[in-house]
Amino acid sequence: MSIARTAAFEARTPLLWVCAASAAATLLHATQFSAWITLTALALTGWRLAAALGEVRLPGRLVRILLGLSLIAAVLAQFHTLNGLASGTAMLILMASVKLLETGARRDQYIVIGGALFLLLAACLDGQSLARVPLYALTALLCCSALAVVAYTPGTDEGRFTTSAGLRPREVVALAARTLLYATPLAILLFLFFPRLPGHLWTLTSGEDAVTGLGDTLTPGSITRLTASYDIAFRVRFDGRPPPPEERYWRGPVMNTFDGATWTRGSYSPGGTQRLDCLSRPYGYRIYLEPTFRRWWLALDTVMFSPSPDVRYTGDYELIATSPVEQPLSYHALSCTNSRSLGPLTAEARLEDTQLPPGRNPRARALALRLRRGAGSDVAFVRAVLTFLRAGGFSYSLTPPPLGADPIDDFLFDTRTGFCGHYASAFVDLMRAGGVPARVVTGYQGGQWNPYDGTFIVRQSDAHAWAEVWLEGRGWTRVDPTAVVAPERLYRGILDLLPNAVSASARLVHAWPWLGSALERWEAVNGWWNERVVSFDDRSQLELLRELGFHSPELRDAAWAFALTLLVWLAWISWQLGKGAGSERPDRLGRAYLRLCRKVARAGLPRAPQQGPLAYAQTIIRYRPDLRLRVGPLLEQYAQLRFGPASPAARDRELRSFERAVARLSVQRRRKLTPRARASRGR
Amino acid sequence: MAATAALDRVRTRLRKGAADWARRRQGPDRLPLTLARRRLYILPTRVGMGFAALVLTMLAAALNYGNSLALLLTFLLAGFALVAMHECHRNLLGVALLEAAAQPLFAGSPGMLRLTLANLTRLRRYRIRAAVEGQAAVTVDLPTDGRVQIELPIPALERGLRRIERLRVSSSHPFGLFGVWTWVHAGIEVIVYPRAAGSMPLPPARGAGSGASSRGTAGADEWIGLRPFRDGDSPRQVAWKAYAREAPLLVKEYGSTGSPLRMLSLEDARQPDIESRLAQLARWIVDAEAGGHLYGLELSGERIGAHRGADHRHRCLSALALYGS
Repeated sequence: MSIARTAAFEARTPLLWVCAASAAATLLHATQFSAWITLTALALTGWRLAAALGEVRLPGRLVRILLGLSLIAAVLAQFHTLNGLASGTAMLILMASVKLLETGARRDQYIVIGGALFLLLAACLDGQSLARVPLYALTALLCCSALAVVAYTPGTDEGRFTTSAGLRPREVVALAARTLLYATPLAILLFLFFPRLPGHLWTLTSGEDAVTGLGDTLTPGSITRLTASYDIAFRVRFDGRPPPPEERYWRGPVMNTFDGATWTRGSYSPGGTQRLDCLSRPYGYRIYLEPTFRRWWLALDTVMFSPSPDVRYTGDYELIATSPVEQPLSYHALSCTNSRSLGPLTAEARLEDTQLPPGRNPRARALALRLRRGAGSDVAFVRAVLTFLRAGGFSYSLTPPPLGADPIDDFLFDTRTGFCGHYASAFVDLMRAGGVPARVVTGYQGGQWNPYDGTFIVRQSDAHAWAEVWLEGRGWTRVDPTAVVAPERLYRGILDLLPNAVSASARLVHAWPWLGSALERWEAVNGWWNERVVSFDDRSQLELLRELGFHSPELRDAAWAFALTLLVWLAWISWQLGKGAGSERPDRLGRAYLRLCRKVARAGLPRAPQQGPLAYAQTIIRYRPDLRLRVGPLLEQYAQLRFGPASPAARDRELRSFERAVARLSVQRRRKLTPRARASRGR
Repeated sequence: MAATAALDRVRTRLRKGAADWARRRQGPDRLPLTLARRRLYILPTRVGMGFAALVLTMLAAALNYGNSLALLLTFLLAGFALVAMHECHRNLLGVALLEAAAQPLFAGSPGMLRLTLANLTRLRRYRIRAAVEGQAAVTVDLPTDGRVQIELPIPALERGLRRIERLRVSSSHPFGLFGVWTWVHAGIEVIVYPRAAGSMPLPPARGAGSGASSRGTAGADEWIGLRPFRDGDSPRQVAWKAYAREAPLLVKEYGSTGSPLRMLSLEDARQPDIESRLAQLARWIVDAEAGGHLYGLELSGERIGAHRGADHRHRCLSALALYGS
């Protein structure tokens, strides 16, 4: 009975570990999928555990097959495909837990562990943020521990197993942790030197990934969705001095077409880029962009050329990549904050940028015409409209009242409350009604200095919209009507202005500055992680090789550097692990004792192999009475240390004093006693 | 089905070839022996191959997505496997085989080989498997400074003095990804008694006189052996010396002139061929010993005086085992 129980317990141990590894890998994806997937997987794992404890019975083959098929159907119903990262991962989660329901054969357990490792990989593909890395590390540790336990537990085909030592859970975890720790240097070396692919071999659809950041369209109220978010949009590091706050406009999509309520990107594409004339020294900087799942790359207004061959530089000075930004990425760009577009506006572009939907917002149109008539030039007209906004009793708010069918009219004449989207829309509408080419530019404004890594952090809450008008002789000129209504917006950011309108986390940070400082530190570390680890790619690899002194870095050089470091690592590992395994290496005390014996042996008194320390002491004293007080006590001390009882602390102290005494000891070969010396001794 | 059988044959052949190569390379071994580097061989196991396939798949996925963290994980697992290889290797490195002795066995029935494994190093050793080549393995853990005696099954052998040529000691601890092994060619000798068979009854005891005359030294106080103490035994018969050596309480037994003696001879065993005759003799010896008789053995040219006890039985059966060699 008791033997049977022990056997059952031993068979259960690896199962517990395998279930834990599988559950951990499942939980890594808990936030990614709807709850039923995680819950189903955990329930199946629980079922397996309950069966192992003898509480319930395992399902038969038919039930398993039906269960598997219905789960496949459920995944199909949710994702409409199996060929995607998200649906594939969901599938793997469910199938691994169904596999767990099979009998406890070792092979099945290995397969489930393999599945858990693959789920871990899928989690890495899903999110690479530093905060998740400890969770990943824990899961990897759990998987490796489970592997050790499964391998340790004998299979049914393995004959008898007599265990005298046993492998306790703590030792299992220590073993797996040590193995992973030794593997880490190699992982880093491979990470640095393993040749990377410049592109994709195949692509899976990304599923329903959340889209953050600026959109293709702008309604006056649409920016609020962003301002409520404290997430980082991107970080910037300037090569030299940063531009002053009023010049920190980060340009995103430009909206040319207006239907009376919504701005969209224009359909026309101007024949070529309007050349820029830079009136001040350009700023060089590097941007670390967070994934947006959009094709926009942000840049300081106005960027001078495309930072990458994969990115198109449009006639509206936008940067549009060929593929959406799915991974954090970084690029270097050059911008001129004080620039002038050269060359006249084409008739086509002028038509596009003065177009307004007929019949919409009539009161705004009337106002514009009145103001334009009163102004002598386009510049005076701009000034008049800004004066109207400043003096018209407008206020800045992130929670403006809703607008009706003619939103611009409602805003300008009734509610008079709004934020950047409203002001930019209204301003451009008025400009166009007055015959001045104008457009809405969306992007970000501002940025928060992080002293810990010297970057500016631009958050989603810094999203902004402003206007550009075409002025003869100056070209496209930025006008920010919001700045006229709420000038402090430019300098203080939205938090100071409207503390109640933004997210709770942002408010917390605002209330407790120390929290903000901690957050800045964390974001600096995170920034380093994103900059150095996550966005390390084939180009960074070549840069690294160049820094290491390979003058024309090629794949071949990477391979050489890698092979060399691999050899060093292998030597290190085999030295590290070979210690104490091959030879019967004496312990610290034994080494000190051997040193002592060597010293005495050099003086002509070697220890016979069968002699213990005390017998050796007797021999020494017999032949060299002069050593009695120097060597004798040491040998006694050794015998005491080796065989006597002592508390570990006392023993450690004694051991150290013994080692010191042995190091100090010097034993001379005895000189032949001359008759004279003998005589002097006799006296 | 036939394909797997063929595959198995190929695998067995390969294994045999590799072992013979190792034998030529290593030369003969003598126990005690500490397993050194140059005699340890290591290869990935089936699980290890699966793990390699997993890592390669992960590498392809991580490279394709250009995902740094996934690459880091993949490389970590690759390094993990390499470290596991070293750990597996050192799990067997330095393990000592102190002695190996086979208990005598009867032809045609399986036996046992006693192997003493020791760990004289500071590392604990886990899941060391030992086996007579081709036989079922026994798995043990070895604590530091520990020694463990295990009993390995031996296959059924022919009568005579046989040698167990090859032991295989292996381990796939810690993660089962690699298997390290060594072959030990210690040439352990094992005496194989003839099979105890035959239906002839035990030959009748000869008279006391004849027995005495045949031995010439029979007497009232002829030493027979030791047996466990029973209530009522005289204290003078107790083997106190043995008791002082921490043996259980034993009583010295002496035969009397009246003990029936059975001399078993090859001629008495009337069987068609020599092996059957030896088998019949073995049967008689086993039965006589079990029956508590005094018995002796007469083979052509060899004669073992009447006696009884485990040593005597072994002596007689060994003579049968070595007959004709």
